[in-house]
Amino acid sequence: MKRAALSALLVPVLLSGCYRVEKPAQAQPGEATPVTRGDGRTLRVFIWSEYIDPDLVKTFEKQNGVRVVLDTFESNEAMLAKLQGGGAQYDIAVPSNYVVQTMIRADLLQPLDRGALPNLKNIAPGFLNAAYDPGNRYSVPYQYAATGLAYNTQRYVPQDTWAEIFGPDDTRTFVLLDDPREVIGAALKYLGFSANTTDVAQLRQARDLLRRVVAKQGFQGFDGGPGTRNKLLARQIDLGQIYVGDLLIATEEDENVQVLLPRQGTTISMDTLVVLRRSPNPELAHRFINFILDADNGAQLSNYTYYATPNAASQPLLDDFLKDIPALNPPAAWLTDGRLDFIGELPSGRPQRLYDRIWTELKSQ
Amino acid sequence: MIRRTHPALTAWAWLVYAFLYLPIIVLVVFSFNDSRFGATWAGFTTKWYGVLFARADVREALAHTLEIALLSTLVSTVLGTLVGLGLWRYTLRFRTALTGLLVLPIVIPDVVMGVSLLMFYSFVRAGLERLGWTFDNGFWTVLLAHVTFQISYVALTVRSRLAGYGPELEEAARDLGATGLRSFTHVVLPLALPGVLAGALLAFTLSLDDFVVTYFTSGSGFSTLPVLIYTNVKRGVTPDINALSALLVLVTVVAIVAANALLRPRRQP
Repeated sequence: MKRAALSALLVPVLLSGCYRVEKPAQAQPGEATPVTRGDGRTLRVFIWSEYIDPDLVKTFEKQNGVRVVLDTFESNEAMLAKLQGGGAQYDIAVPSNYVVQTMIRADLLQPLDRGALPNLKNIAPGFLNAAYDPGNRYSVPYQYAATGLAYNTQRYVPQDTWAEIFGPDDTRTFVLLDDPREVIGAALKYLGFSANTTDVAQLRQARDLLRRVVAKQGFQGFDGGPGTRNKLLARQIDLGQIYVGDLLIATEEDENVQVLLPRQGTTISMDTLVVLRRSPNPELAHRFINFILDADNGAQLSNYTYYATPNAASQPLLDDFLKDIPALNPPAAWLTDGRLDFIGELPSGRPQRLYDRIWTELKSQ
Repeated sequence: MIRRTHPALTAWAWLVYAFLYLPIIVLVVFSFNDSRFGATWAGFTTKWYGVLFARADVREALAHTLEIALLSTLVSTVLGTLVGLGLWRYTLRFRTALTGLLVLPIVIPDVVMGVSLLMFYSFVRAGLERLGWTFDNGFWTVLLAHVTFQISYVALTVRSRLAGYGPELEEAARDLGATGLRSFTHVVLPLALPGVLAGALLAFTLSLDDFVVTYFTSGSGFSTLPVLIYTNVKRGVTPDINALSALLVLVTVVAIVAANALLRPRRQP
């Protein structure tokens, strides 16, 4: 009885949010008919928080006479869950490189129209055609973060080597990133291996090394970027593993906090721009991506976020302050000599399980 | 006759309260910190509250939060009260099962609820699309989601408020000549009212605070304050978010205190 009354109440409520589906102009044969309600005037972007200059958004809105709606997510996984649920109609999302393959496989993305992206030529060749998306069929590089070693010069100035943390010296206090791929990746780089290795012997070496490292007196636990940043500002620790951008933003408050890239190399993760399969306004989405790939806009973006730009044409236009920071602009050679490893998707099975087991063991030690 | 508690017990109680409330106090204090990263104390300021109110996304999210909270509270209070009264008044065949169903939304993890609602909406949407209709997740889907978990809280508070009274009260009113409606408005409802109000306040605070279910059921361009705050945490909480959290805590505390006051059993003369 009550349930019937309930449904009677809910149905009109649900329906009031409904509208008629406009038939898409051209449905490709063999494909599920995409639902479009694109009026070409509203662009919906799903992005990390504080990851785009609001002024840049305003410029795009003004130039194109459109409205841009930004929604934020806090992890790749949460973003993925929401998109797979199909509840929200976004045009553009900003996943990290290792999620792009997952999204392609889940049929969440549509192939990019290269003709609509002339500014793609601005991207440094080293960042194109990466393993996560050969030929950049679905994604273009947005901003990237190398993982570095942060410190406060008033407390301690380290050498540019992972040995500061992974070496035998046990006099320094430090934190590691609360992320399995970053921590195991750094250990692998220190040992001279790839951060994406699937070699069991190499992974065992990394595991043995990390066991010793987390047993050190100076180990202060695992932390995310903001926590490590705060500890460095408060001079509570000597060293912290951190995304370069997350630390650089703190130099505004205290120029004594600095970050460097260890000479053995490090991991990087690239955030990308993708157009979603169900995008109501794919044409506008491409226009937005091309707008971001513009040299001036790319520079403005990095000047705001303090993350590194893959845009070669933007590089000279960065603020002097950012240009002078080596950690933000790793030498181009590092990209090709194997010192910078994109964190890649692992094949499921044994290596994946080994990474998981190493991490579980470290966290419980 | 008041039994004195052992001093050690009192000290322990204070420690527990400190453990529970110190982080919140720190948060509130740091919303007045003049440092962008809040690691160290850099002097007193109220500027973050100014920054906060200047943010259009915050104002929009606040409006959404209040709209959802007020409307969902209204709907769930009416429905929940009816359920609570029904459970109290009638001997139903599936009473235990029904009560179990009511408890379910309270005990299942938010994530399960959020994801299952998301899937449910997708399912409904797929069906509607076949008929040529569709809808975006947003205001209505979030509202519905909030109502679904709020009903339980309201129904259970109303039922427990009435638990001590038997149906004879209503029967007595009927014997004295009251119509069904009159006995309801003059006898049953006044008895249940503290439970109804307390349930409503509970529902309101739950809606105000909810992140997980809202995150999954909201669509593009529709976020509430908790969603806004949580997704801002990734790159470090900015102090204006501290200020916002402090305000949310304030509102929640006021509502909870009010709910408690209403739930306090009235002393019989």
